[in-house]
Amino acid sequence: MTAARVPREATQKTDLLKTQDVLALRYRVMDLPQFRIKELCMQFPHGITDQVIQNEMPHIEAQQRAMVINKLLSLGQLDLLRSSNGLLYRLKDAQSTSKMKGSDNQEKLVYQIIEDAGNKGIWSRDIRYKSNLPLTEINKILKSLESKKLIKAVKSVAASKKKVYMLYNVQPDRSVTGGAWYSDQDFESEFVEVLNQQCYKFLQSKAEAARDSKQSPLVQRNSSFASSHEVWKYICELGISKVELSMEDIETILNTLIYDGKVEMTIIAAKEGTVGSVDGQMKLYRGVNPIIQPAGLVKTPCGLCPVFDDCHEGGEISPSNCTYMTEWLEF
Amino acid sequence: MTLEEGKLCSLLLREHFGEVVAKVGSHLIQTGAQALRMIGHETGTALDLVKKALCVLIQHNICSYEVNRRGQVEYAVDFIRVLRLLRFPRYIYTAKTLYGDTGELIVEELLQHGKMTMSSTVRKVADRLTDSTEGKTMEYSEVVNTFTCLVDTHFLQRCPVVSEVEKSEALPPVAPTMFNPEKEMYTVPRVNLTGRGKRSRSSDENDNDHKVKKPRLNSTNKETPEDDGIYWKVNFERFHQYFRDQAIITAVANKLDQTSSEIVRTMLRMSEVTTPPNAAHTQPLSSNEIFRALPSGYNISKQVLDQYLTLLVDDPMEFVGKSGESGGGMYVINLQKALACLSRATLETIVQERFGSRSARIFRLLLRKRHLEQKQVEDFAMIPAKEAKDMLYTMLSENLVSLQEIPKTPDHAPSRTFYLYTVSLLPTARMLLHRCYKTVANLIERRLFETKENKRLLEKSQRIEAIIASMQVTGAEETQLQEVEEMITAPERQQLETLKQNVNKLDASENQVDDTIFLLESYINSVQSTGH
Repeated sequence: MTAARVPREATQKTDLLKTQDVLALRYRVMDLPQFRIKELCMQFPHGITDQVIQNEMPHIEAQQRAMVINKLLSLGQLDLLRSSNGLLYRLKDAQSTSKMKGSDNQEKLVYQIIEDAGNKGIWSRDIRYKSNLPLTEINKILKSLESKKLIKAVKSVAASKKKVYMLYNVQPDRSVTGGAWYSDQDFESEFVEVLNQQCYKFLQSKAEAARDSKQSPLVQRNSSFASSHEVWKYICELGISKVELSMEDIETILNTLIYDGKVEMTIIAAKEGTVGSVDGQMKLYRGVNPIIQPAGLVKTPCGLCPVFDDCHEGGEISPSNCTYMTEWLEF
Repeated sequence: MTLEEGKLCSLLLREHFGEVVAKVGSHLIQTGAQALRMIGHETGTALDLVKKALCVLIQHNICSYEVNRRGQVEYAVDFIRVLRLLRFPRYIYTAKTLYGDTGELIVEELLQHGKMTMSSTVRKVADRLTDSTEGKTMEYSEVVNTFTCLVDTHFLQRCPVVSEVEKSEALPPVAPTMFNPEKEMYTVPRVNLTGRGKRSRSSDENDNDHKVKKPRLNSTNKETPEDDGIYWKVNFERFHQYFRDQAIITAVANKLDQTSSEIVRTMLRMSEVTTPPNAAHTQPLSSNEIFRALPSGYNISKQVLDQYLTLLVDDPMEFVGKSGESGGGMYVINLQKALACLSRATLETIVQERFGSRSARIFRLLLRKRHLEQKQVEDFAMIPAKEAKDMLYTMLSENLVSLQEIPKTPDHAPSRTFYLYTVSLLPTARMLLHRCYKTVANLIERRLFETKENKRLLEKSQRIEAIIASMQVTGAEETQLQEVEEMITAPERQQLETLKQNVNKLDASENQVDDTIFLLESYINSVQSTGH
């Protein structure tokens, strides 16, 4: 025996309508402010203050006004925001209103917190602090929100166990995913290596071309420089990267080349508006040769010996019976 | 003075001067200044042997003496001077490149004898040259010329002399006090040295030629030469200055181009004698002077020279600096910065060869940025976290990288402290220098071991060579010579060959490690003397 079950939403809606109609009939004075306020909100999409409402409907008392506003808030049709000079009421757009229909206040609160976190996402512990809800509640709410496809969990690249939550349609920030160098939390070292090689080859060939041109030394040196913008264009044209790379990415790659000792950098002041200049300065890179041959110490077996500290004459490991030396002498 | 240095010194002394001197010398290095009796007592050698050993050491400027408060004479050995024994081949080679065979032989003679008068040096060198060049006898005057050149460029200098006052006293003091003749350090005495080098095996012709001159030569041998008491020795500091200049010039040639290195070479040559050792930078030189002093082969215009100088100043290596605008721009060479740069590059190559190029990247990154956290190192160097951690810990265990703790809370809890990685140049350089000393000691030991292994074989081959030589003099037949030669079998000959190759290789690598020692030592000395 199945009782006719009306779907919950429908009953709620009809209930609302009924209440509203009844109210409208019964308290014609009452519903007017409700709709008036909603119209006002629509007029001012940025939100209206209490003052504005007062000006529009001066004949409504403060208590009645408060009641109406509270009703609209509880129905989820108005948003309460705090601004520098008081409270603002803003109309919630219809879509999000419908989304939150099935949730209760706690879920709405958690959703609010996650929305505020923007594209960086927020950790579950932080949600707990902000909402003062117990852990079990939080977990339940998060699960339900996830199943409704309102939020998603993104694994942070910094700490692989940590999960941050953000709105479903929000693109995660670079600091969480690691940017262009990470694909699915894995650092792509071959990708970085390939880019490294390509940039170095480009700069080296430029330097060689400059050296062979046999012009005056100042011109020679200046032509062997390449700005970071040029390198960026070259790499984009090469098309070895599936991901879109920005100029900052290329600069980090060029920095690693500097730490390899293969490239040096100077910063020159450039006019705003010249291609590739950032804040009035441009970074120039050029390939250089090493200034010294490998040290004499590492040309001997002792320089690279792993048991150097244990070696002494008359011991088990000594120069006289050193196998590394024997191999080296047989070259 | 560490254990390793002491061991190296005793090995060097044994090789150059023999067992007794080595024992006395290394004992003095360990104990500092001691009186004669103490030395004899503690080393257990007879007194006259000790005296002879000390004579040898004093002759070579290794040992010095002074009278202590109780009126005894105490002898002290300078271990740095002993380490210079390692560098003798490099000095001789430099003299050869600069002044030819004559220069090479002069420096070699002086190094072998410690100190000598000019006349005896000239005589010996002329004899040796005459021996080596068939059909030509060496004029003394040529040798004197080269000697004067060497003195003018400060490669040779006078030894300290006994003061005049003491000479005239009736009773000579216990130990003469020596003083450096500052004004006459580099003035060659006017000695009348004429004659030619004598061939050791003089044939009849020579006898005839020199009959007239013979009595005079003999007479000059008997009477005291005119420059008696004026002894010369090799000026090591000047050679070191030259090595340092060479290193700078090579570095500039590698980084920029040939012309820039020529300009730097000219600048260094002009300030050779005016710069005191361990100075932070040379005297300022105006670009006009440099232009005039450039070697004639380089026709570059004044403008191009100015451009090159500007490029050198702008270079991040900072070898050349501009100190003023007068005279077309005054330029100096920053010696201290150059040495720091060179030793930094040496350290980087050592890290690269030992641990790989990615560790070298981390090392250079830390040198540049001074202090970095673990996460920052990974980000800047673009190395995956696991590998970066591994490399950092390896280098940390070798003491190339050190940790700096910065606590957030007073109780230094590890979870609440910042740990920063850092590299400091001076301590790392010292550590690697120490390692170099031990390496050289190992190489010498191995060489001695190899020779000892094949001692029997070596003696046999020497005997056979002596037999062959004597047979050749007495005019033996071919067949007899063949027989004697066959006493050394083919495998033995092979063994001798490999032994010779090995010993040469070990010798050459000692010299290479000595190059590194020189760079690191110069850097450490320059930092210490300027006090920062």
